Amino acid sequence: MITEQGRILELLLSGAFVCQISDEEAWRYLKTSGNSDKVETQLNVLNRTLATASDGDVFFAAYQSLYDNERKHLGSQFQEISSHLMPLVEWLLLVQQANGSDVPVTQGSAIRLNEIQTVIEDTPAFAEQLEKISRNRLFGSTSTQLDGQLKQVFSRLTQLGYLLKPNAEKQIFIATGKIEYLYDVLKFIDETEALSLTEQAENAVQQGSLL
Amino acid sequence: MNQHLQQAGVKLLNALSRHADLIMQVYLSGSLDESQHSPKVIDNLCQLGILWRPESDTQLRLKSAVRNLLEGSLHDERNRQIDANIGSALASLKTLAQHYKEALHHSRYAESEAHLSDLTEHVYALTESLSNNVRVLFSRINNEFGYVSSIDAKIRENELAQSQVSELLKQLEMFRFDELSEQAGSNRELRHLMVVTLQHSFSKVIQELSIVQARLLELIGRFREFKGRTQLLKGFLLHLEHKPDFKPGNYTSLSKVPMLFNHAAALIKPAAVDVHRLEHEQDLQHLVGMIKAFNRSNLRAQPERAAQNIQVEQQSAAQFAEDKLRLAVEAYFCQVIDSGQRLTALDYHQQHELEFDPEVWIYQVVGGYQALGMEEQSYFALDTSGEPHPIYTGNYIIRDVELGLR
Repeated sequence: MITEQGRILELLLSGAFVCQISDEEAWRYLKTSGNSDKVETQLNVLNRTLATASDGDVFFAAYQSLYDNERKHLGSQFQEISSHLMPLVEWLLLVQQANGSDVPVTQGSAIRLNEIQTVIEDTPAFAEQLEKISRNRLFGSTSTQLDGQLKQVFSRLTQLGYLLKPNAEKQIFIATGKIEYLYDVLKFIDETEALSLTEQAENAVQQGSLL
Repeated sequence: MNQHLQQAGVKLLNALSRHADLIMQVYLSGSLDESQHSPKVIDNLCQLGILWRPESDTQLRLKSAVRNLLEGSLHDERNRQIDANIGSALASLKTLAQHYKEALHHSRYAESEAHLSDLTEHVYALTESLSNNVRVLFSRINNEFGYVSSIDAKIRENELAQSQVSELLKQLEMFRFDELSEQAGSNRELRHLMVVTLQHSFSKVIQELSIVQARLLELIGRFREFKGRTQLLKGFLLHLEHKPDFKPGNYTSLSKVPMLFNHAAALIKPAAVDVHRLEHEQDLQHLVGMIKAFNRSNLRAQPERAAQNIQVEQQSAAQFAEDKLRLAVEAYFCQVIDSGQRLTALDYHQQHELEFDPEVWIYQVVGGYQALGMEEQSYFALDTSGEPHPIYTGNYIIRDVELGLR
């Protein structure tokens, strides 16, 4: 029988993001300070360390010290993440607008596929946007039907760990902590590249030329 | 006078109930569509002070007293008004208390009774309005300002609520219990009303308001974060629109890679259950349990299973072989009838040198006997010869059967 600690170690070593939504027990375990130290020592054996994102609410395994191989891996991974940013941001905004509540998708937000589909079907602008998003290499949908495009986008996001489908029978998805990680990445890029994205958006609102 | 007041009140309430539909319609839509109702009814309601016309060219509206009554009783969340005029309420309390004490002093008991009941009414009205205000605030917080949709509007609503809370707190500071208790003096009723009751409600309201304030701050923090995130997303897209070739610098080539982009490769790859390992049995069962049964088979077209012509001759030949066995059994039965002698099946088999397997033959004989009708069966007797199984009790091995006439 595997211990809780072993289970969490396995999760982290298989590259998973541990958050309250994806695995609450593991998350609670890691949140307890003594436990995270124990996991940390075991990770160190494998040149890994426990890293957090979103103010310590999302855990993942990072390299402890970097050599050529590790750098190579991180480099290709970074290319992947940065190429995913645009379609993901577009998708986040689409869901937010289609939801009608003006609330951004955050960890724990429930997205009901049927509701979103109805709104998108009724709004040609959204349908166009969805078509554009689903054509992106990240989602790679070839469907001409809105239904197929939407399903493809959601199943791909579930595969990537951004969403969770708690009940296989129902088309309800819950956003995981990886979404928070995505926001962190955006914030990081915003700060390091000095893009002042928030000001750009605000100016656009004032000029009345918002997306 | 009292009689008259009661009559007028009953008349007003009756009018309210008689025209309940109309009033609710006005309440919900804000103003009255005069063309749909008879002018007589409208005139009547105007006279009773239920409807009124704010300006000569505007439509009729509900009097605020009626509206307040409905909002209060229906717990309508549109009611965002906070009545914070505690100063004047307190002043009227003090005045009434003075009236009461003066009446008592001059031994005008009937008058003092009236003043006391007035005072009671005012005190309870004050406590009720306090708790009502808090309730209104709470109901707004509880659905997170659900009556407005955009985050900006929610932030504005939150700011309004915060200013109302601070206004209410400022008003509550006007409660000077030392003054009130001085006013009440040693009179028991006055003390109870002006000190005990008010203090009780005061402390409750203060406590609840502090919770409200904390929640409001928490909510505004969340709303601001939502707004910040939305702007981050929109700003990113705008930026990409302006500079389509934007690429973030490769942070992983820095000497110190930010933790955010240091996501280690998966060391443990997806695994499968080994069917030959006993320890994996539970996992395997779990996996099997998750498999859904599909009735439609997912097979491709199989040319070897395509429809074919059935050769009818072959089938009749197969039937013939079976027939031969049956005919032989019939012949055996006939011989027994003809000769009237008992004859074992194996003896007949040998006599006629039948080519069937002896065991098959015995089976067929037993079967043939069983297949006869009840009446025909009663003409024959079928005896079995054999022995019980040497090891397993209850089993009987038949070596031969003997058929005879009864």
